[in-house]
Amino acid sequence: MESSRRELIKTTTLALGGLVVGFYVPEKGSSPAWAQGAVPKAPPAPNAFIRIASDESITIFINKLEMGQGVNTSMAQLIAEELECDWQKIQSVSAPVDPVYNHTMMGIQMTGGSTSLASSWEQHRLLGANMREMLRQAAAEVWKVPLDSCQAQKGTIVHTQKGQLTYGQLAEAASRMPLPTRESITLKAAAAYQVIGQSKARVDAADKVNGKAIFGLDVKLPGMLHAIVLHPPFAGAHIKSVDDKKAKATAGVIDVVRMKDRVAVLAKNTFAAIKGRDALAVTWDKKGTDASSSSFLAAFQKAAKGDAPIAETRGLGEKPLLKAKRTIEAEYVLPFLAHAAMEPLNVTINFDGKTCEMWSGHQMPGIDTMRAAQILGIDPSAVTAHTTYVGGSFGRRASKDCDYVAVAAELAKLVKKPLKVTWTREDDMRGGYYRPMALHRVRVGLKDKNLLAWDHRVVCQSIMKGTPFEAMMIKGGIEEAAVEGIAHTPYAFENFRCTQNLVDTPMTTLWWRSVGNTHTAYVMETMIDELAHAFEQDPFVLRRQLLAASPRHLAVLDLLEERSGWKTRDKSGPHAFGVALHQSFGSVVGHVVMVSIVDKMPRVHKVWSAVHCGQVVNPEQAKTQVEGSIVFGLSAALYQEIAVEKGRVQTGNFDTYPVMRIDEMPVVDVAFVASTDAPSGLGEPAVPPIAPAVANAYFALSKKRLRTLPFSKSIQV
Amino acid sequence: MNLTINGKTMTVDIEGDTPLLWALRDELGLTGTKFGCGKALCGACTVHIDGQPVRSCSVPISAAVGKQISTIEGLNDPTSAAVQKAWVENHVPQCGYCQSGQIMSAVALLREKKQPTDSDIDAAMSGNICRCGTYQRIKAAIKQAAGSLT
Repeated sequence: MESSRRELIKTTTLALGGLVVGFYVPEKGSSPAWAQGAVPKAPPAPNAFIRIASDESITIFINKLEMGQGVNTSMAQLIAEELECDWQKIQSVSAPVDPVYNHTMMGIQMTGGSTSLASSWEQHRLLGANMREMLRQAAAEVWKVPLDSCQAQKGTIVHTQKGQLTYGQLAEAASRMPLPTRESITLKAAAAYQVIGQSKARVDAADKVNGKAIFGLDVKLPGMLHAIVLHPPFAGAHIKSVDDKKAKATAGVIDVVRMKDRVAVLAKNTFAAIKGRDALAVTWDKKGTDASSSSFLAAFQKAAKGDAPIAETRGLGEKPLLKAKRTIEAEYVLPFLAHAAMEPLNVTINFDGKTCEMWSGHQMPGIDTMRAAQILGIDPSAVTAHTTYVGGSFGRRASKDCDYVAVAAELAKLVKKPLKVTWTREDDMRGGYYRPMALHRVRVGLKDKNLLAWDHRVVCQSIMKGTPFEAMMIKGGIEEAAVEGIAHTPYAFENFRCTQNLVDTPMTTLWWRSVGNTHTAYVMETMIDELAHAFEQDPFVLRRQLLAASPRHLAVLDLLEERSGWKTRDKSGPHAFGVALHQSFGSVVGHVVMVSIVDKMPRVHKVWSAVHCGQVVNPEQAKTQVEGSIVFGLSAALYQEIAVEKGRVQTGNFDTYPVMRIDEMPVVDVAFVASTDAPSGLGEPAVPPIAPAVANAYFALSKKRLRTLPFSKSIQV
Repeated sequence: MNLTINGKTMTVDIEGDTPLLWALRDELGLTGTKFGCGKALCGACTVHIDGQPVRSCSVPISAAVGKQISTIEGLNDPTSAAVQKAWVENHVPQCGYCQSGQIMSAVALLREKKQPTDSDIDAAMSGNICRCGTYQRIKAAIKQAAGSLT
């Protein structure tokens, strides 16, 4: 441990009367908070992540955003497994911004890509093990006995003659022990797990059922003003004139602030600010643009007819299509989608002209810090970002250009008072960064019961273009995120080609829970079903043939077939069954759905899910991720579309962007393939296969293929 | 204007057309009641007025004067405790943002119907959206709470 670090810990310890040890204090200046881009050396000092206090409480600093996926619990379980502590003493808090908290794969402090457990799997178990070893060393020193004679047991170190010392009693001394070497640590084998694999109750559950959990929107600062911002009505709109007389005369309004292409109303409460904004008379330089849902479709269809770079070719590519006896050709259209998290976007910010503090559900807190600093014209070390609970994200809070933080910082720079900048639901929906619209054209050539060739064109808007990720994520004109799940599909197609066009629109795009897999899996899995029907083959059998070299997929198919009773399913009633399977974020998920038709639309009654995601850390919580993904994917498939006319997003609230409600909730049965492999993702991988499973069941009932999403658009026209 | 919230009289000095939601959150520090849509579409802002579940985003404070208002912070009876316990034990909350509203709707249901059927639950709870998709567990938790109260 470097001396300055040790000095800081000592100071902290003394300041708190020796009660607290191992509270890592981010060192501004020497250890810059904005230093992003470095993968941390494993293992970092455990005191950055674990604080043991004299009252035996153990605080875990979680370096991922708790957005519902359960990291505050599951990541603490990884540490607790090796720490040998009393689980009941654990509490989790969000980590501050510091390079020590950088993602072990991505090199920035961030949450995403369903990687929280995968990327922390070794690091967090090592953190727990290191802390345990330092506590053992401390006890050995106190007792003056050999280290080997000191055992860690449920929050204490015990010795057969000397008795026991609690972690709280040893914490101060432990902080002065040397960090164990990696070689000296042997992590537990799976058979010895006592915490991993247990359905521990969520550590945040109590505060989330009594209203005490503080979300970004709940932060209150002394003297804080409430800001509602009039955002540009469409991309590229500039303000021509502002008449704010009525807004300023609105009761409760304190000021109206002209920003670049925005107008902010500051008031004593949110409602007064909303009313003030409604009273603004703003004229824009143009009334609208030609951009619309139909113009996007025309542009995508045009692109699909032209040349395109190749993402993958196998065998003879598309050429054998010429020899096909039968060709299936299909065009699919999938719309722009909003994240529509329950908590609308917001940032609370206090900039006094020199330093800035901000509070929000930061998914990339280091990047948010840099962006705020850049706008405020101050050094990033003068910005402190606090990460609060967040009412969902689904990708939106990992804004690639920190859009909503930027708006708050721009306003804070002008106002220099504590502010809460709230987006209304309509602001959130219309100022969205969307899952890109996608158009797929698929041509599949058959001869008897053979698949001759598969030619797949994806037309999509880029997510990565113009971002720092462009160089990494777009290669040879191919954006991996737009073709993932099609290019390099595990299906063993002998002759295959995947091509891709990236088409620009004025819409802003972003990763949306499972990213490209949201559209690629839909097309792939409904086409596989179509193929099974063409071959008059069971869809499980066809998938097994095509996935013979993919053991994880086969294991999921076996489990799914067994759990769902697929072979003995009742085909006589008003129900039909559908299946789909997809791999994403390292995990394979299959769903079988039982569907009937109610008011023309598919109604899902039951879902059986089989999942291979390696070691399951918290089974009950893992199930919640699958259940939630089903609701998320199904809501989009059934109902959701961001509609655009004259450049303006028409969709504004949950009346025009419906979300599945409890009366539509199917019974969900989730099973995991038993595995002790390192965990792979689970926040996203159950989303992609749900919509195609339902579409396949709907076909069994109606003999109609749903090629335009949402289903309501295909069915109700 | 005086409001009776969780049994206490509280005074707010704001316009009478201000929705109760914003009085609770911005003026009175009762942030357990959440803003989700502002149009009574999502249920995140559900509170009880004279025992009935209502969307506080769509009730002006002038209409709430003289009535008994209860928020998530004021829950303290056996029904509420049973619901909150069942919520934790069934791993209901994920992000948790909608759960105050869900719980207020569930408590109102159980006070009305001791043993709600599936369709009672659907009817009482379908005004509350959850983007994390916790519905299956909400149903199970309501049934568990109902069972524990008999």
